[in-house]
Amino acid sequence: MNQHATPPPLPVQTRITIMQGQARVSAGPRVEFTTVLGSCVATCLYDPEIELGGMNHFLLAQPAVASHLSEADAHYGVYLMEVLINEMLAHGAAKQRLRAHLYGGANLHAGMTRIGTMNADFARQFLRDEGIPLVREDLGGTSARRVDFRPALGQVRCRVVEAALAPEIPSAPRPQPVCGDVELF
Amino acid sequence: MSKTTRILTVDDSASMRALLNHALSSRGFDVVQADDGQAALEWLAVNEVDVVITDINMPRLDGFGLIEQLRAGSRHRDRPILVLTTESSDEKKSRARMAGATGWIVKPFDPDKLATAVRRVAH
Repeated sequence: MNQHATPPPLPVQTRITIMQGQARVSAGPRVEFTTVLGSCVATCLYDPEIELGGMNHFLLAQPAVASHLSEADAHYGVYLMEVLINEMLAHGAAKQRLRAHLYGGANLHAGMTRIGTMNADFARQFLRDEGIPLVREDLGGTSARRVDFRPALGQVRCRVVEAALAPEIPSAPRPQPVCGDVELF
Repeated sequence: MSKTTRILTVDDSASMRALLNHALSSRGFDVVQADDGQAALEWLAVNEVDVVITDINMPRLDGFGLIEQLRAGSRHRDRPILVLTTESSDEKKSRARMAGATGWIVKPFDPDKLATAVRRVAH
């Protein structure tokens, strides 16, 4: 019998669903983040030295070239990636220690705009630009995925699920969130 | 003929720099970019701009440090400095104000609101 075997992780006590447009971090040993992805992408970041992890879930990569008011919202990867990294740093992580996983980016419906591929390409490029190593990815394909992430352990379980479980991409314009407010002192 | 407003954007995220560059250049501004506060400080030691737009969380020298150092010298004491950040806490906003920031904008930014703010502070 191996007396030095790593003890099994504590059972999950708090399961937090990461919705579209959200980013959360935690060092809780009994916390699990979970999300279901279709064409959306989730990024899991982990700092092994302080056992802190975070997850985001973005809907679209970045605003179109001809960006208008209705397009500047919190669902974009370019914003949610920054929010996630800043949250990690604010909780003591160091950028050079961060390791990333990427999941999602499926193209669920044949013949439609390949949003999943665009999201996956954006996420990979973002991590390259920021110098954050991508240690695991499960991107693309035509199936929805459920991702469960233990942020304090950096452990991820990714399973294929029925496409009906994945959140729909809104075809109508999204409600306009409050963003980009300017306050001059 | 009016002079083009020159803006220095300071942000450690390459993706955000690209987004800012497009948003501001396409609205007629001359855009220069630095990837952290230290690089901005070194560039500003020998160059002139009309407005600085800076992120807060950056390596080497963060946005607060950049504002404090610019305000400590005479060269950029009156330079408009807008903070553009994902931070939304009142404590950090207050700290930026005390350091000498001219304004506070929360990401995700709206390109038109950002351009309007730049025109207002650039005079």
